[in-house]
Amino acid sequence: MRATLYSTVFTVLVVVKATLFAAPPAVTKGRTFDGHPDLSGIWQTMSTANWDLQDHQAAPGPFFQLGAVGAIPSGQGVVEGGEIPYKPEAMKQKQENFKNRWKDDPEVKCYMGGIPRSNYMPYPFQILQTPRTILMDYEYASSNRVINMEKKPLEASVDTWMGTANGHWEGDTLVVDNVGFNDESWFDRAGDFHSDQLHVVERFTLADADHMNYEATIEDPQVFTRPWKISLTLYRHVEKNAQLTEFKCVPFAEELLYGDVRKKTK
Amino acid sequence: MKAQLFLASSLAVGGLAFAQNTNTPKTAWGDPDLQGVYTTDDLNGVPLARPAQYGTRRYLTEQEFAERAKNVNSEKSTIDTGIRPTTGFWALVKDAGVDGAAAPAQWIEYAKHASRLTSLVVDPPDGRIPALTPEGEKRRAAQPNYYNMRPASWEDLSSYDRCITRGVTGSFFPSIYGNGSEILQMPGMVAIRYEMIHETRLIPLDGRPHASAGLRSYMGDPRGHFEGNTLVVETTNFIGGKVDVGGVPYSEDLKLVERFTRVAPDTIDYQVTITDPKTFTAPWTVAFPIRQEPGYRIFEYACHEGNHAMHNRLSAARAEERHEAAKAAQPDQK
Repeated sequence: MRATLYSTVFTVLVVVKATLFAAPPAVTKGRTFDGHPDLSGIWQTMSTANWDLQDHQAAPGPFFQLGAVGAIPSGQGVVEGGEIPYKPEAMKQKQENFKNRWKDDPEVKCYMGGIPRSNYMPYPFQILQTPRTILMDYEYASSNRVINMEKKPLEASVDTWMGTANGHWEGDTLVVDNVGFNDESWFDRAGDFHSDQLHVVERFTLADADHMNYEATIEDPQVFTRPWKISLTLYRHVEKNAQLTEFKCVPFAEELLYGDVRKKTK
Repeated sequence: MKAQLFLASSLAVGGLAFAQNTNTPKTAWGDPDLQGVYTTDDLNGVPLARPAQYGTRRYLTEQEFAERAKNVNSEKSTIDTGIRPTTGFWALVKDAGVDGAAAPAQWIEYAKHASRLTSLVVDPPDGRIPALTPEGEKRRAAQPNYYNMRPASWEDLSSYDRCITRGVTGSFFPSIYGNGSEILQMPGMVAIRYEMIHETRLIPLDGRPHASAGLRSYMGDPRGHFEGNTLVVETTNFIGGKVDVGGVPYSEDLKLVERFTRVAPDTIDYQVTITDPKTFTAPWTVAFPIRQEPGYRIFEYACHEGNHAMHNRLSAARAEERHEAAKAAQPDQK
């Protein structure tokens, strides 16, 4: 007991001395001061997962006036095994969502993207990593989330769009456990959806300096028969002057949301 | 174990530094450490511009302070019992003929410790916002009015009503709720996250120039550097004419210079100088402390997602118009 106390005091003194008088600690390239992989930077997917998590072929958009500009690109799916294991009633809901996607998709209304969708929308997001918290700041709709990295987990005391996130490191992989979601966000523009029982476990692993593997295991017993997984690559923005710009989309959605109660001019 | 050591060392260094009053704590890479979750709750009830009675005095007298502390305590106990107060902001709302009853008591944040400040504006020395330019006056008169009971569309309402943004100063200045902010740091970058309409500013410290004038935004383009222990942030490239500061929509030439200095383990002194020659005849400065309040947590403010008020206000206005039109069509019933 006493020995422990002495050694603690000694260690603290040594650390204090070292911190006050020594040069900053050496840091390995690609790692932070606490030794973890440095995920900080601006990231974006090149996949078309935001159009549809599953395989999809090219299709016309909703407005012929936009021609090719408004068309939907084809793309390979990101769901492991290809299928999303909907319960039968939930599958009907998904199909209903798909039919009404141009007015019911939360993205059309400029609502927050939720998790995991925010990570593969066609906008960059920036990671700022500290030992106690990791910030993920999304360009789309100025949404953001802070992942708690402290040992004591943050409790999800209210349901939110972006959820409550607790993270930890498994080797060189950042694992983020997300709960506390509302039932309003979608997974893509094809109507894939979830309930407020959603539980998402994400895994961020650097493949090399500029590529990151992203996986999300999705669990929601109200909607799916079993957990399922998506997996895609995030690419780093390497331009010297790269920075997140601003996409506040509310003004682009107001006519759609409130046009029915605008005063009609004769 | 590693975590414990890290904690022990940072506590020891922090305590030592403040005890000797020589230095603020530093991050592992040597920048002054400003990190933490802060709130401006304690400034609730401090006016932006100084009431004339205080002259050039920045702080309340003991007697004035006792009076404010009494009000703060009564507001706190009113809210704690679940009743909406009738003082401060709520008195203003009532005087304007609006029943602000939609907001339940638990929405409201209140001061835990009464402030001694007479106003948030500290320069000019009289604490008043400088006179407006003629263009500024015109913009103030033309801005959307919160108390407009007949908005023709959302464009007759403010950026705040529309949940677009409150801008840099509006996100940070004390309000009735959403007063939290969080500072995070890494080498070469500071992030400031605001609870109010979930804004985040990412502030590069690497000396890069501002984005070109063609790239404008509601939250502006911030660049930061440290002067001693003070983080200095200069922000430009604003979208003009949409968001207000001091009750006037600012122009695209707005420049903000903010200074953040840790003065105690739980307190940062904040200062912002507002320069906008197209709007104000002189620069002016606001200064106040922000504090870490134990247990304060930033929650997601899904303002736009939950903006039922917008549809309700517009549909109420249309319903009143229909009612009036119906009445006008039946003159014999008068």
